[in-house]
Amino acid sequence: MATHEPSARDVILGKLREKRVPRPTDYPLPGIVTLGDMDRSVKRFEDALQLLGGDIWAPQSGETLEDAVRRKFPDAGSICSATDEFKGTLKITDLKTLQEADKVDVMVVRSPFGIAEMGSIFLSEVELHDHLADVHLAQHLIVLLSRTALTANMHTAYQERQEFKTAGYGVLMSGPSATADIQGVLIRGAQGVRSLTVIWTD
Amino acid sequence: MSTKPVPHAKAGAEFLQEKAHLQFHDERLWDIRQKRDHQMHILPEWQELRQKASEIKEHTLANLPEYLEQFERNAKANGIHVHWARDGQEHNRIVGEILSEHKAKSLIKSKSMITDECEMREYLEPRGVTVTETDLGERIQQLDDQLPSHVVLPAVQKLTGDVAALFAKYYHTDPNDHDPHSLAEAQRQAARPVILGADAGMTGGNFLVAETGTFVVCTNEGNADLSANVSGLHIATLGIERLVPRMSDLGVFIRLLSRSALGSPITQYTTHFRKPKKGGEMHIILVDNGRSDRLAMEQFWSSLKCIRCGACMNTCPVYRRSGGQSYGAVYSGPIGAIIDPTFNKEKYSTLPFASTLNGSCSNVCPVKINIHEQLFEWRRVLAEENEIPFVKKEIMKMAGKLLSSPRMYRAAISSTNIALKTMPRFVLYNAFNQWGKHRELPHPVSETFNHWYRKNRLKQSGQTSQQTGAGGQS
Repeated sequence: MATHEPSARDVILGKLREKRVPRPTDYPLPGIVTLGDMDRSVKRFEDALQLLGGDIWAPQSGETLEDAVRRKFPDAGSICSATDEFKGTLKITDLKTLQEADKVDVMVVRSPFGIAEMGSIFLSEVELHDHLADVHLAQHLIVLLSRTALTANMHTAYQERQEFKTAGYGVLMSGPSATADIQGVLIRGAQGVRSLTVIWTD
Repeated sequence: MSTKPVPHAKAGAEFLQEKAHLQFHDERLWDIRQKRDHQMHILPEWQELRQKASEIKEHTLANLPEYLEQFERNAKANGIHVHWARDGQEHNRIVGEILSEHKAKSLIKSKSMITDECEMREYLEPRGVTVTETDLGERIQQLDDQLPSHVVLPAVQKLTGDVAALFAKYYHTDPNDHDPHSLAEAQRQAARPVILGADAGMTGGNFLVAETGTFVVCTNEGNADLSANVSGLHIATLGIERLVPRMSDLGVFIRLLSRSALGSPITQYTTHFRKPKKGGEMHIILVDNGRSDRLAMEQFWSSLKCIRCGACMNTCPVYRRSGGQSYGAVYSGPIGAIIDPTFNKEKYSTLPFASTLNGSCSNVCPVKINIHEQLFEWRRVLAEENEIPFVKKEIMKMAGKLLSSPRMYRAAISSTNIALKTMPRFVLYNAFNQWGKHRELPHPVSETFNHWYRKNRLKQSGQTSQQTGAGGQS
């Protein structure tokens, strides 16, 4: 790199330091904000999830998780599991190409936590075993979640959950993919999963 | 780039002739505005959230170089390549170089206003890179060779029939199939093979977190998560103003963003990228493109607080009735009208006049940008620099009169939802006004300005401290 010409970085930072029109001393950093409803109940989570187009699915008495998922998707050819607690027709770590992932009808994952305010579930490279695209290429998503793994709202989520500071890729999914780009008509199932279903495991 | 002023009023008048489009556009955006109000009403802490969002952004902008350095340090430590671009040209060159190093010929991307701002597709396509927009609305606009009409609803000015015609032409669908579901499915089916075969992926981003070197992308369609992850190469482009200091600050902004934008509590996907994926490569381009100049403008720097929710567009009676295309700019609506002139004062000299100064934009803004005051301030600046023609000067005299009379001004901005839904009357009954000419077609107005003014003034007597900060007086 030529040394006689200042880098874009130095030019930009230099310009930003030149005038300081909003003066740092006039705008102190506010304290960390925690506002709103602190309810972290299952009901709040379920209501929020359903508002965003997600489903709740309950295994019937005596039914295994596998049977419950099969009952939900009786026609599914491939059911791919990203978690040891669920036996699918294949494992996420078996997927070697995007084309294979594209053929998955149902993906089953375990989420470490949910956010009651939004009905959101969290997934990272840890739960997805580094198969980050595969979960989004599948047609449908089943999320296993514990009732005790709910945080109240976005403030508590960002303050309490260390995953936001440790994950390389961390996605909050709040219902399935959706679009309303054609004349305002809401369509569930845009480019990502067509449905998102939470199953409580406790 | 042309320096001829954008003929906004003329283009807007043309849109007014498209009656079916106009009616849908107007009603769709007003419906979103009402959904936003509903979200506001169920959160007692709404105003406090806005206040905190504003304070966090002001603080960040006042300390921008320091936070940018902190962000860069952390992102680099996490293995992300950090680039800086002074302008669109430099940005495009960087993207082109990264792609060419990887011999990448097919780029899929999620919606990003800043790549439109940089005219990146126009740069890459002649260099042999096929750029495919994967957001449905943005793809529709790409196929039609148009700029996005709206920051979150790129194709909101189109009806189903327009999309059916475009898809018939490019995806060979049945031109008579006007079912949005099958059209959206056609897009999914057309996009999937392109996504699976892409050499590289690109996203924009909503927030940069200095504390962790994270960037956050908020989307609904799942296309950003696909674009970022299918190939081994992810390039993200963000404006330097997108920073927040701490991870916990996101709590405030995520709670406000989608509620303000669409009236939904959160986007379907809120994705935090902190490291390249295993075996992959990640690049972030931090783009200035006029932002450092804007930060040095006493009257206009706070427009950099904008989080691109589009609430000001949805509530603006002029935007709803003129359509995003009439602004002739990447950013349309009230926020566009105050930031576009910082890119090109001549070309966008007409845009600060595409407003009634009713103040609704400022009231709904989740980060409390004084948009309507900046609109007025731009008129003054442009008038002093002689960038505006005679008619606009006349309108400005009226607006000036209005603003110089605090009581009259309060009456105008505290108008009810009904008044806003139709048109603030002081402009409506201005004989020079391009909007007023057509206003009585879709929503007849049954009372005169004077009548309305007296009635409302009488109604308000005794309410001298009427609040205007709620965004909706509904």
